[in-house]
Amino acid sequence: MNDPGKPISRAYDEIVPATASELARLLEKNSSGERRPLLPVGGRTALGFGFPIARESLEVSLGRLDQVLDFPARDMTVTVEAGCRMGILQEQLRQEGQRLPIDIPMAHRATAGGVVACNPGGPRRFGFGTMRDYVIGIGAVTAGGQPFRAGGRVVKNVAGYDLCKLLVGSGGSLAVISEVTFKLKPVAAASALGWACFDQGAMVNDLLTDMSTSQARSVAIELLGPKAARQISAESRQQLPEGPLLVGVGLEGSRAEVDWQAEVVERELRAGGANNVVWKEEAAAVAMWSALTEFQVGAESAVTFRASLRPSRTVEFMTAAIDAGVAVQAHLGNGVVHGHLPDDTLDVGRACSIIKSLRAVAVSGGGQVLIERCEPGWQPELDLWGTARGDWELMAALKKELDPGELLSPGRGIDGARASARPIETNEVGVGG
Amino acid sequence: MGKSNDTSAGTGGISGELIRRFQAIVGDDAVLSATDELLVYECDGYVVEKKLPDVVLFPGSTDQVVEIVLACNEFDVPFVPRGAGTSLAGGCLPVGGGVMITLTRMKEILEVNLQDRFAVVEPGLVNLHLTQHLAGTGFHYAPDPSSQGACTIGGNVATNSGGPHTLKYGVTVNHVLGLEVVMPDGRLVELGGATEGLAGYDLTGLFVGSEGTFGICTKVMVRLTRDPVAYRTMLGIFETVGDATRAISSIIGEGIIPAALEMMDQGIVEAVEAAYGFGFPLDAAAVLLMEVDGLEVAVDEEARRIVEICDQAGAREVRRAETQEERQLLWKCRKQAFGAIGRLSPSYCTQDGVVPRTKLPEILEFITAAGERHGVRIVNVFHAGDGNIHPILLFDERDKEQIARVFSASDEILGKCIDLGGSVTGEHGIGVEKISFMDRLFSSDDLEVMGRVRAAFNPKGRCSPAKMLPVAGACGMEHIERSHPGKQAAP
Repeated sequence: MNDPGKPISRAYDEIVPATASELARLLEKNSSGERRPLLPVGGRTALGFGFPIARESLEVSLGRLDQVLDFPARDMTVTVEAGCRMGILQEQLRQEGQRLPIDIPMAHRATAGGVVACNPGGPRRFGFGTMRDYVIGIGAVTAGGQPFRAGGRVVKNVAGYDLCKLLVGSGGSLAVISEVTFKLKPVAAASALGWACFDQGAMVNDLLTDMSTSQARSVAIELLGPKAARQISAESRQQLPEGPLLVGVGLEGSRAEVDWQAEVVERELRAGGANNVVWKEEAAAVAMWSALTEFQVGAESAVTFRASLRPSRTVEFMTAAIDAGVAVQAHLGNGVVHGHLPDDTLDVGRACSIIKSLRAVAVSGGGQVLIERCEPGWQPELDLWGTARGDWELMAALKKELDPGELLSPGRGIDGARASARPIETNEVGVGG
Repeated sequence: MGKSNDTSAGTGGISGELIRRFQAIVGDDAVLSATDELLVYECDGYVVEKKLPDVVLFPGSTDQVVEIVLACNEFDVPFVPRGAGTSLAGGCLPVGGGVMITLTRMKEILEVNLQDRFAVVEPGLVNLHLTQHLAGTGFHYAPDPSSQGACTIGGNVATNSGGPHTLKYGVTVNHVLGLEVVMPDGRLVELGGATEGLAGYDLTGLFVGSEGTFGICTKVMVRLTRDPVAYRTMLGIFETVGDATRAISSIIGEGIIPAALEMMDQGIVEAVEAAYGFGFPLDAAAVLLMEVDGLEVAVDEEARRIVEICDQAGAREVRRAETQEERQLLWKCRKQAFGAIGRLSPSYCTQDGVVPRTKLPEILEFITAAGERHGVRIVNVFHAGDGNIHPILLFDERDKEQIARVFSASDEILGKCIDLGGSVTGEHGIGVEKISFMDRLFSSDDLEVMGRVRAAFNPKGRCSPAKMLPVAGACGMEHIERSHPGKQAAP
């Protein structure tokens, strides 16, 4: 079984620059000399993503670029070097009553550059958005050793192209991130999660519709299948109600805001058919947020996927996944699902059969299933990103412009996906579809 | 300054054959090519630089936009998209003439999906019309530029527009989920979509704010935002600008994120008061329009903390809007402040700088001094909570010497924003107005990489040439006159 933090094949060498200019110099040297494939490395929490790393790869470790460069707390921004550990950063921010409100798995190891490149998220994306909403400035180096910046250190800025957006989620395939500026939010004084079970998918869909005009402003709406619920309950050491579909609603704010909203949410859950609502607050809520964030990397599963769906089509997908024995967690308010295939998925044929049936459900609603991690050697058959989309050609053009020598993370981004994908189907649903 | 009112049309660039092609595509009534008809399109909200397009087209569908772009490619002429022309930075200026593709006839709301919280609209839809359409549903479209009664959502996408309420809710890019784009070579692509977290690069995020240089968006999928349950809107009255800006810094520094935090100085208050008669005190140096929103259970406490901070900063008085009518009137005064400036001066130039929020006192002192140094009257109305300043420089367009002084003062103010760690534009865009600042804000490496990104979308540079980057549009576009008459020719 693969460890999500471990690369599938070890690279032979690494470079560990101490400054951004040294990073640029080393990349320039490689580009004009040996031209070895490059693998940017932060906290090693996401190296299992995508296609296997070529054996001749040179790891570019950002470990020594780990400083907080500028934290003007009263401006609510922070600028850090790419190798800065997120756990350490969050602790420093908390001392000023601030935070980057993104749920990051393995935050004690994950680095700023790594999380920007991999764009992880968790339950609170419903209330706070995602990485793209918080990166306001970026510094990076191209594979050819050209350093560049975009954005800045102010919260509102439209000068130049927004290369921050381009690098968020780029997976180390366009440039090596050397520095990031985040905008920040205040920490919440209180938080709570209410949990209730439902027997039928239809009940959850009705609940979601009713809650879309709720007087409360929840920051997370989660839906767990039974396997995921057991894992998250064990990880958080919190007893959760047991049933076919477990719904969790997360609240944050002042004490008064959380208390008032908890009453509203409890009424709504009961009106939706829940017999019992269990609330987790204070330390229990902290443990739950963490477990809900770590689920996506927690299981020792043969295949881990992420599905992107419309919220209104998510329950249907969850039901199909649960029926197939998959451990699934949905950020229901956003239509993002994390899934681990069952333990008895012993061969790629079985994995393909489950993924194929789930992809059919996802694609029928305009969604997508992305394989995040799998057993070595299964990638080509699993078709990591699924059916090609109309904008992939443009992505490939960008990759070619920024990394013409195809040195950065070969096979791990758009070029790997294009190599394995089926052609576009005419019934795809897109904008306005 | 010699060419600052250049209205020469380069009609020689467009053949009769191409005009006839356009007429066949969009119909005779959607083609303007006579000089007197084109005059309206010689500039946008940035009035100091003017250039006539050779022809203005009003397509009614995506297919027509595709055909127009294919024809422009075939005849090798540049083209520029335009919405309502409210850009304050010359974003719609047809540098070098060519074809202007005006999208105001494509203004339908194609889909509203409340359950999945998105709407799909055409680019020519007026921003405010979407929120009006949503009234009663409990949802709205959050970006609310001051020009929202006129500006289009397609234009907002091009410039990544902000507005007063973006302090809490984010700018346009935070609310765009997907786009349909006619690429500069005529290909039609869909970027992003209704589902979050799709694999691959965030091309939607990259496209928003590209100022028309990456292609023409023909559909926009926007996120819908829940209406706040409760508001508290307050007006803080201050004896000095310094007291007001210190209050702003303290509010943000305390970790309070108001829904909006806007400042108007005495000059603007005079004009607004003359226009709307709200009852603003004319002897106060500055007023702050402050709004908190959220749950009924929370807004009073936030409002109380803000009042306390204002008191500590030396506010003369903090008034509360007691009724919905009072709140709406306050916002009307703010959003239409620009309209009231006509009472102060025949022409004005609105600047758009950004500084870290703690530097607001410093930049406002600098603005006052710059105005005095150059003999230019400057008034201020701006998004204080974001650190996004809008000094408005008053002048008479007919006096070239005054225009030169306005440019000098503007340049100094924007230069100071850079020195303070800020930017030269928070929401209006680079357009043609600020192109000369790009190499102060960015290194040649930064600009070269941005140029490569543009080349992936717009390799031939025919779409919105000579915008955003201070480098040639691309190979084959050298014939485009880089007129930039105002700023670049200024002494």
